[in-house]
Amino acid sequence: MINLKINGKEHNLDVEADVPLVWVLRDYLGLNAVKFGCGIAVCGACTVHVDNKPVRSCVVPVGSLKDKQITTLEGVESDIAAKIKKAWLDLQVPQCGYCQPGQIMSVINLLETNPNPDDADIDDAMSGNLCRCGTYLKIREAIHVAAESIK
Amino acid sequence: MNLQKVNRREFLKATGMTAGGLVMGVTVPMSLHAEEGETGFHPKVFIQIAENGDTTLYCGRAEMGQGISTALPAAVADELEADWSRVTVLQGDGDKKYGSQATGGSRSINEFFIPMRTAGAAMREMLIKAASQSWGIPESDCYAELHFVHNKKNKKKLSYGELSSVAAKLPVPTKPALKSKDQFRYIGKPLTRHDQDEVVVGKRTYGIDTKIPGLKYAAITHVPVYGGKLKSVDKTGALKMKGVVDVVEVERIKSPFSSLGGVAVVADNTWTAQQALKKLKIEWDLGEHKGYDSKTYLQDLIKNVESPAEKIFSRGDVDKGLEEAATRHSASYTGGHLSHSPMEPMASLAWVQDDSCEIWASTQNPQQIQQVIAIFLGRKEEDIVVHVTAAGGAFGRKGKCDYVHEAAAISKAVGVPVQLTWSREEDMRTGYYHSINAQHLEAGLDKDGNISAWLQRAAFPSIGSTFNPSLDRANERDFTRPIAHPYGIANYKLESGHAPAHTRIGWYRAVYDIFYGFATNVFTDELAQKAGIDTLTFLRNIYDNNKDPVLAKSASRCRGVLDLAAKKGSWGKKMPKNHGLGIAVHYSYNSYLAMLVHVETKGDDIKVHRVDCAVDCGLVLNPDIATAQMEGAVVMGLSLSLREDVTFRDGAVVNSNYHDYPVLRHNEMPEVHVHFVDNDESPTGLGEPGVPTFAPAFINAIYAASGKRYRSIPIKPMSV
Ligand code: FES
Ligand code: FES
Repeated sequence: MINLKINGKEHNLDVEADVPLVWVLRDYLGLNAVKFGCGIAVCGACTVHVDNKPVRSCVVPVGSLKDKQITTLEGVESDIAAKIKKAWLDLQVPQCGYCQPGQIMSVINLLETNPNPDDADIDDAMSGNLCRCGTYLKIREAIHVAAESIK
Repeated sequence: MNLQKVNRREFLKATGMTAGGLVMGVTVPMSLHAEEGETGFHPKVFIQIAENGDTTLYCGRAEMGQGISTALPAAVADELEADWSRVTVLQGDGDKKYGSQATGGSRSINEFFIPMRTAGAAMREMLIKAASQSWGIPESDCYAELHFVHNKKNKKKLSYGELSSVAAKLPVPTKPALKSKDQFRYIGKPLTRHDQDEVVVGKRTYGIDTKIPGLKYAAITHVPVYGGKLKSVDKTGALKMKGVVDVVEVERIKSPFSSLGGVAVVADNTWTAQQALKKLKIEWDLGEHKGYDSKTYLQDLIKNVESPAEKIFSRGDVDKGLEEAATRHSASYTGGHLSHSPMEPMASLAWVQDDSCEIWASTQNPQQIQQVIAIFLGRKEEDIVVHVTAAGGAFGRKGKCDYVHEAAAISKAVGVPVQLTWSREEDMRTGYYHSINAQHLEAGLDKDGNISAWLQRAAFPSIGSTFNPSLDRANERDFTRPIAHPYGIANYKLESGHAPAHTRIGWYRAVYDIFYGFATNVFTDELAQKAGIDTLTFLRNIYDNNKDPVLAKSASRCRGVLDLAAKKGSWGKKMPKNHGLGIAVHYSYNSYLAMLVHVETKGDDIKVHRVDCAVDCGLVLNPDIATAQMEGAVVMGLSLSLREDVTFRDGAVVNSNYHDYPVLRHNEMPEVHVHFVDNDESPTGLGEPGVPTFAPAFINAIYAASGKRYRSIPIKPMSV
């Protein structure tokens, strides 16, 4: 039995300790905002927060998450997150949308730790999140818009 | 075009929805070729205004992020004078009733635009008539605006919902009046996409996300070489693992879209299935392509284009033209295989039972799924139910349903619903790749620097080889683009070199235009240097020299985008040291594109500062979506120019994931400015045409900045 705290709720699950978090979230809990893209921490599609830090859930075994707070896009509630989502909609950022939950999870952490990022900060924070559709420019613009609206 | 009211029974049968209010069915010309001989009225799109005013479009086109499901309803809503917030689009399941549902080739917009507008206009006229009758006033005293019909005389109004049932009893106008461009409310305007809200909360359901009760999870490993097959598998280790349900052998069937063949594991979760695959002891019979080495093969292709090949097309006399030329120049260009690598890997849910088969998949072609699964199960196509989900990118890859066939085969074997998700590694190694290619160009210039003769030889495995393996070189169809390009060159010849396929070749966003656009535009840049003429002037001259009246318009549209890109990107301005501008133009999928790229080079370091992209796609339906398509094309273009390269060794793909098949990241993204030519031509596609011009403009810019001329892309392949 593995005990996980996800989006403020406790879950006891009968899974092996070495199963990466992404598959537990998706296959057992139906938290499908967490996407699978690469499985080796190079695409960012599976980004979630563990104790408020972004992690690639495809390489985090569930056994390592005892007493940690896990947050997926379904569970984010902060004001910052709301502003980010609004900027995303106002600028119509997504194309296919598949990478976007992961992008947004990275942006939430960026703006929580750095409310006024410049382009270099954005590059640093976001270059681990791939978008094959090529929404990078819109993402950058939306981050600036969200940062502005949080001030 | 055919437009008819649809009755309750027909509507229910087609959409599974209850009819109420006014329902219209629209057939579109594009479905005719698919169903020649079909008689009677078979609507492909349904539009309903319900009694509460809700307006719904039922259509069968897959949405892959290009916003088709916004552009088409916008065309209806505009003519209908609907309130955009009341309009929804429902994606139809895979079914012939929707006509051909294949998405690709930027076709959707071209074929649906006028029929959709006409349908909207006809419905508007019916609603106005219904209102005029109920008020007992002439129609000319009524007008429609934003979901209401208004009475000009007394400011009364009736809502579309209230009018819908009355309107449904009226005849359909045969020639409804369409709006003029200045009356458009939605067409050509940025418009909110209705599908975005669920994306930002993570609630959009893709093929990989579908869940149904009793579901098990599967992973698969494929035969590494095209045409190979399974010799033996020892399942013991896998079956012993906790959580493993079964191991299933999946065989290739007689369809180019079937599984390549492989072994799958079914388990309680995807991870366990993936781990169990590693415990299988598999022996493959690798088959006839086990020696395929893409590096060596590319050298063969170069040889094949540097000597005479099979003539595909010619006008004038190229040999004579070359002989008499004042100056001659020749060069060879190459490009490697590319993988689509959409962020959502191939995934599908299937549930095969004795008397039913239900499929959920992100797909560009649901009817192909019906065909392939019908062959596999020996059942009728209409008995295969296909639910089309959102696709997490496709770029052509999800128009082939090998992964769906596999899900069905696995479900059939284990008797429960199965969600099959390919690992990224399987996705990378089991593709339908963009053709590896070589081209050789030779041209003669007259004393004024005009091109007097042009010989272009191309060798690349044709997509046709996936259907007909004996096809060992590209055919006339594969040369459509250079045949149609409106170059004003009197002596012009195209030849096709020997190029048998050793892997599955498939459509990749923009297809062959990627390498045609690349070679021709880099070559013209080289010719311009040779002639001592500014490249922009040189390119303009090529089009101005086209005196063929049939091609005059096409040539002038090429010039139009060239001039626009040059102006917006300040072609000719003085550049700092190590900075350079490059330009390229291409005509594809009925759209005209020119790009101007600004790069800076520092040794091997290349930075793209800015891209100016000029687009003539006729009437721009939605500038936001069009701009996003161009930005996406720049990302893909830069990615394939720099690093994307699928390498084969011993018949198998060597690349495995995004680390050795690197696609562009945030930090490398240049500034992109998109400019549209303002004209009244009919709208043409945008999904693909942006890709081909980037690479050559980029390569030409590097030359301008550094004097280094690249003739092969990618220029920085990963060594895998
Ligand atoms: S799936 Fe985890 S980073 Fe790609
Ligand atoms: S929006 Fe499609 S991958 Fe980013």
